Amino acid sequence: MALQTTVEQVEGSVPVTILALDGELDGASYERVIDAVRGIYEAGGRHLLMDLTNLQFISSSGLVAMHSSMRMMRGEAPPDPEEGWGALHAIGAEVAEGAVQANLRLCGTQDAVQKVLDRTGLGPLIPTYPDRATAIAAF
Amino acid sequence: MTRPADRLRIPADLERLAEVRQLVRDVAGAAGATRDVVDDLVQAVDEAATNTITHGYAGAPGWVDVTVAIEGPTLVITLEDDAPAFDPTGLPDPDMTVPALVRGPGGMGIRLMRIATDELAYRPRATGGNILTMTRSIAPRPEENP
Repeated sequence: MALQTTVEQVEGSVPVTILALDGELDGASYERVIDAVRGIYEAGGRHLLMDLTNLQFISSSGLVAMHSSMRMMRGEAPPDPEEGWGALHAIGAEVAEGAVQANLRLCGTQDAVQKVLDRTGLGPLIPTYPDRATAIAAF
Repeated sequence: MTRPADRLRIPADLERLAEVRQLVRDVAGAAGATRDVVDDLVQAVDEAATNTITHGYAGAPGWVDVTVAIEGPTLVITLEDDAPAFDPTGLPDPDMTVPALVRGPGGMGIRLMRIATDELAYRPRATGGNILTMTRSIAPRPEENP
């Protein structure tokens, strides 16, 4: 199934942009997610919630998109895909220390997607909530 | 008993990965594999085919053959291509404890393939190219839900 992306704006205690990913996030579609997040940041979005309720699959290419999204929401350039994952550890440490606000959050991850996030060490680095309402309230 | 294999050829085009995932989903599901096992095999075949298309052919035209066979209690997925010879099973597993810049997304792909399968085997194709075989028991692992 091809990936569909939908962007919505909601007002919580802060303005939150919701990027819903429906379908499968793979090598064919991951660059579209990076482009969408870049567009959100450039338009002034600073709190991004990715709604993965209808995301059935994520490959390692999709993880690159997640990693790039973390970076971009911190105002940094997305990494070269060949650069690697070193920055993830730095981001994770800062989030754990409360040194920075986590500008990217996830909600609604299905088991298959959560399994991949956890197996690659990315899962614990991105705050994840069961649904939109809980995630928006937490920003 | 060995049932007939299911086979698919796609061109070296990332847009066609979804067809490979669906083939594995269909055959593994029909074989009675649990959701966990099906998900793992779909992951493994996607990572392998993505590697072939992205790094093997690297933009050049080509094809990937995918075969899914049920051999007794085991599902066997075979990927065949005629890209330059490359053995992904020789790649080191990324060290998850070290914040190494060498730990690239490609390393994540091979890690996911290893976790998702019981066995990964590589051999060069006689006429050039690569054959990668991924094996997984149809029965769930002890830590998984039946």
